[in-house]
Amino acid sequence: MPRIKKKGQAGAAKNYVTRNQAIRKLQISLPDFRKLCIWKGIYPREPRSKKKVSKSSTASTTFYFTKDIQYLLHEPLLQKFRDQKVLEKKISRALGRGDVTDAARLEGNASRPEKTGKPRYTLDHVIRERYPTFVDSLRDLDDCLSMLFLFANLPSTSMVPAKMIARCERLVHEFQHYLIVTKSVTKSFLSIKGIYYQANILGEDVLWLVPYRFNQRVVGDVDFRIMGTFIEFYMTLLGFVNFRLYTTLGLKYPPKFDQTKDENAAELGAFTLEGMSLVGAEEHKQLEDATHKPDPKVQAAVNKVLKKLKTTDADEESTDNQVDGEEQDTGAIDKFEPAAPGGDVLPQPSTAGNSPGAMFSDFTFYLSRETPRQSLEFLLKAFGCKRVGWDAVLGDGAFTTNELDPAITHQIVDRPPIQVATEEDADGEDNQTSQKLPANMRVPGRTYIQPQWVWDSANDGELKEAHLYAPGASLPPHLSPFVKQVQGAYDPTISLEEQQPEDEALEAQSDDEDLAVKDIDETVEGMDVDDSEGGEDDDEKDDEFGGFSEDEQEEDEDEDTAEQRQEELEAELTGASVNSKTKSSKAKAKEEALKALTKKARDEAEDLDRAKGMLSKKKRKLYEQMVYTNTKKSTEDQKLRAKRRRFEKEKAKGKGKA
Amino acid sequence: MPVIKSKTIGSGEAPSQPNQPSRKGKKAWRKNVDVSEVQHGLVELNEEIIRGGVIKEKASEDLFTVDVKGDSQLAKRSKHVKKTLKADDILAQRSAVPAVSMRKRPSDKTTNGLISAKRQRTGWVSHKELCRLKRVADGQHDNTIDVKDATYDVWDMPAPVQEVDVNDFIPHQEKAKAPKTMKKAPISLLENGKQVAAVQTPSGGYSYNPVFTDYEVRLAEESEKALEVERKRVAAEEADRLKQEAAAKSAAEAEAAEARANMSEWEEDSEWEGFQSGAEDGKLTAKRPERKTQTQRNRIKRRKEEERLAKHKAAVKTQRRQEHRITEIAEEIEERDRNRELILAVESDEEIATDLKEHKLRRKQLGKYKLPEGDLELVLPDELQESLRLLKPEGNLLRDRYRSMLVRGKVESRRHLPFHKLSARKYTEKWTYKDFTI
Repeated sequence: MPRIKKKGQAGAAKNYVTRNQAIRKLQISLPDFRKLCIWKGIYPREPRSKKKVSKSSTASTTFYFTKDIQYLLHEPLLQKFRDQKVLEKKISRALGRGDVTDAARLEGNASRPEKTGKPRYTLDHVIRERYPTFVDSLRDLDDCLSMLFLFANLPSTSMVPAKMIARCERLVHEFQHYLIVTKSVTKSFLSIKGIYYQANILGEDVLWLVPYRFNQRVVGDVDFRIMGTFIEFYMTLLGFVNFRLYTTLGLKYPPKFDQTKDENAAELGAFTLEGMSLVGAEEHKQLEDATHKPDPKVQAAVNKVLKKLKTTDADEESTDNQVDGEEQDTGAIDKFEPAAPGGDVLPQPSTAGNSPGAMFSDFTFYLSRETPRQSLEFLLKAFGCKRVGWDAVLGDGAFTTNELDPAITHQIVDRPPIQVATEEDADGEDNQTSQKLPANMRVPGRTYIQPQWVWDSANDGELKEAHLYAPGASLPPHLSPFVKQVQGAYDPTISLEEQQPEDEALEAQSDDEDLAVKDIDETVEGMDVDDSEGGEDDDEKDDEFGGFSEDEQEEDEDEDTAEQRQEELEAELTGASVNSKTKSSKAKAKEEALKALTKKARDEAEDLDRAKGMLSKKKRKLYEQMVYTNTKKSTEDQKLRAKRRRFEKEKAKGKGKA
Repeated sequence: MPVIKSKTIGSGEAPSQPNQPSRKGKKAWRKNVDVSEVQHGLVELNEEIIRGGVIKEKASEDLFTVDVKGDSQLAKRSKHVKKTLKADDILAQRSAVPAVSMRKRPSDKTTNGLISAKRQRTGWVSHKELCRLKRVADGQHDNTIDVKDATYDVWDMPAPVQEVDVNDFIPHQEKAKAPKTMKKAPISLLENGKQVAAVQTPSGGYSYNPVFTDYEVRLAEESEKALEVERKRVAAEEADRLKQEAAAKSAAEAEAAEARANMSEWEEDSEWEGFQSGAEDGKLTAKRPERKTQTQRNRIKRRKEEERLAKHKAAVKTQRRQEHRITEIAEEIEERDRNRELILAVESDEEIATDLKEHKLRRKQLGKYKLPEGDLELVLPDELQESLRLLKPEGNLLRDRYRSMLVRGKVESRRHLPFHKLSARKYTEKWTYKDFTI
């Protein structure tokens, strides 16, 4: 008979420890344990069967891997925590005795460890351990940047000290300067939560979220001790990342920081980048120049980085708009085509002459005082703009604060145009002498745009038409650049001809001639909001959204019928039949094309059926499910395209008449 | 014996043993030892210092001169000695040691550059500092680690050179290697177990100026969710109401019963007046249950047996029916499983959930407390603005980041304790109000 095994001696029970066991083993307090776990990257685990692991009956214990905890025993930081525990005891004993000076002395000695010969502890070794290579750290930069940007925008409280906020701000600005120098920002998106940015750093896509200014409330149900621990770690991490990024560019780290400028809210302007070499002074001047010519060394470094990027992977290159800049212009760019006929649409590298990284380089911008300066300044500079001026109320560091500066080519405004009474014109002329312009006054030879223009241009990699974004104009929708375009899906940004499949195009043409728009209209009607919603309390919405679309449809139908009648009348007058001859030849060709298409479709369907027969039952089911969802989606897209077609037609008609 | 005894001032006596016959007994005690000699020597030393330095320490040039020529003044000196007053004599004896000035001396001129606040007491600890000390004693350290500017590249450090000493007998301590378990990804709280991206990519519906179709999809989703919550709330309310109604009903019934009981009491009273009620008679004449006869017992037994048999038969019947359908049932279950799998397969073609949307969370929570609900991040249709200036940002990023950490399983959720638990206060009545005099 084998020996009877005791419970909890082997297997899962040995692999896991509860939190309390871990704390007892490490001899530190619970908050300290939490901190250590966050820094070292030790997460709570879940055994497959809790019953087998825990001796107690409490269901809600947290478990950790025994090996993780065992490894924590080797952590130098553990000594610090134990020292602190000792200090706590000493201080509380002294305070209990009423020996306040003694307590103060003890604390003072502990906070100046060099005097007592004890080491100071940093997180450097933890960074090295958790991110063995630099690329590893870049992969985890999303969370780091989001947290630091968030804390840089928080108001200071007792839980979030001002020092921490200032440090976060500085690190974040240094990082932004790197992005500006290398022009590695690829996308940005104005969402209702905050502003998303995506950058490509050494081939890694980094995405982070920046809150809007002055919007962050500090809420009670967030554990600031835990957040603070993360922030401490991330501050150390971003410091090292910045150091690495700067040194690869040949820049000195930390960059020169001007305290007085920073106090005047210069933000990015408070930093001056310096080259590594000691000639520093000249380069520094060059960088500070209004024209901001990148110094040749930096440029060389950037080019090297870019070259390296290019050789890495073709796919990466395609995702990165920034990569195909500068040198790529000479050679012809390959077109990326999906390998299989049904594959996803691959984003194509732009063949335009100037790279998106230098899109705004020829312009001088002026930001009106109602615009968000921080984000605009960063985005403009990241896309090559060297001269950004703004109103003096927005802080220091502007290229110009004079609104009437003749160098300004673009002005970003976010105010509705005000109807100024004619009486005020006289006053307006008087004000011309001063810097401030009267309301609704425009400087000639300057493009006025709303802030969205900058974002849309940056995302598309080309300058958008400014008149669409003129102040007071109703803006085109701001699309998310992060949405992956699938084959056949409706994409509002490209023209109809590019995206519609053949059969749809043919059908549309024939519809044109038959003037049978009505059935499409009906399908379009089907997708209206009010039908799908079907609630009693949605009446209000009905009025808003559904209402005017119906009106338009009616108008449309009216127009169509009117046109038809006119044509018939004309035909009657000329005495000919209604284009029957030309129509018939055209129709024949169309019919043939349609026939070919249907035949092709039939053949494909047959092939598919045959292939399906070969599949296992499971795979067939999966395939059917896929087809089902795809058709559901494609019908929606079809409807959307039909709607667009109708609108375009209407527009063309309107133009033709006018 | 110290060397303080001056040779110049001899006592004139012949050298002798110290006047201490024995080192034993009371006379050898510290207080009884004769130190007059030492004291005498010290006094002399002091006098010498006053006169201009210890003679023994002086160089012989200072003390002696070789007189080569005679004193020219000697002849001029008058024959009779001029006597001075004793008081003048005493006053003329000035000490060579400069007097200690009685004025207040200024403090050291060199400081650390900071002007410290003038304090009467030096060992003063301010209240603010005291509060901080208390916090530290409570475990809130603000400087566990130092966050310093990066001055070197962590990823580009040369590997530490290991010196292998052949003669070293102490075995070299190996650095502990991180276990493989550290590399395992944290537990994601999603139902499908996918990892969640730290920052999820927003769809077009999150735009401040969205395309109508995207916005409509999100609005419909969110409103459906809100409706569901509302429906649940209403249902709970309804259940609560029913429960209360039932309780009220039963309470009313109980009251009525009590009232009836009271009535009977009242009737009892009436008896006192001469009336008789039958209620009490019934009580008295209540029959006790009779014993069951053997036949009755047997009958009951038989009936129970029959019932049991019928039940058994029914069970057997259903089982047989299921046995007939066993293949069908198996197929059904298989089908259901497969369908679920299919749905999962379609959903989970990526390992990381990168899209920003409400992912379905798993039911089992990690840790003791529930995951906090995410904020509703939706601009209502009537608040939808086209201008960036008029945009009212939705949601709280702080909470969003915190929740993201929880969902990614980096930390377990905690309950927020805004206040410490206070000990229950006990109220007692004071008796002082009785202590009065008229």
